[in-house]
Amino acid sequence: MTTQEDPIIDLYRDSFPTFARMVQRMGGNLEQAKDCFHDALLIYLEKEKAGNLHLHASPKAYLLGTAKICWLHTLDGGTTLPFPEGFEPAEPEDPATEENEKNLLDSLLRSGKKCMELLKAFYYDHRSMLDIAAQFGFSGRRSATVQKYKCLEKVREEIKKTSTYA
Amino acid sequence: MRNEGNETCLIDQYLLRQLSDEDTQAFEVSLLLNAVLAQKVETQRMAHRLIRLFGRKEELCRIQGIYRQLLDEPAFARQLKTIFS
Repeated sequence: MTTQEDPIIDLYRDSFPTFARMVQRMGGNLEQAKDCFHDALLIYLEKEKAGNLHLHASPKAYLLGTAKICWLHTLDGGTTLPFPEGFEPAEPEDPATEENEKNLLDSLLRSGKKCMELLKAFYYDHRSMLDIAAQFGFSGRRSATVQKYKCLEKVREEIKKTSTYA
Repeated sequence: MRNEGNETCLIDQYLLRQLSDEDTQAFEVSLLLNAVLAQKVETQRMAHRLIRLFGRKEELCRIQGIYRQLLDEPAFARQLKTIFS
């Protein structure tokens, strides 16, 4: 372990065996434990980035609680248990729509990865425009903002052009 | 900012629920009267969804990377092996 280690690695190392033990006792396997834990960690990271992570206990307790809800949801087949708080599935239920969206995303990444990265930095990572300007080499916040909207318009145009979205 | 940029910014504010109640109501009236604007709103909503999909994909890759890295640590790998043996 290094002194500059990402705190998420530490949290993972400390929490996953505890969760895996619980899943094993309930008849699950390593793959199922890992999938649920990764979903819970994703929720944790998204809430942290958005500034919506209001912890009433330790990060480990929060993560284990969320992972347990994900696991119970898996066991239940998603029929009665709600998703954990703050979790909105990114992928649609309909496999055809999901496939279309994945194809569209692949196409957007092929035609303009830099734009998608800039948009992700703002909308998903919730980084400031000043940070984004520095990372992407813009002269300042204003030019980064103009570029952000140009990118959004470009993505919008690509979506409009596809036959999968009408 | 360019006019198009202003409109895109306004749509963003609507989608991200950053408009006041009064401005939201006025914007929704514009949507009923302006089919071109309504289509832009829907494509921009979809753009937000795709950005989120991209973000999640990247984040899950990072998480998978952490898992692989930890599996290289003998103590961690041994713990998992013991649990599922």
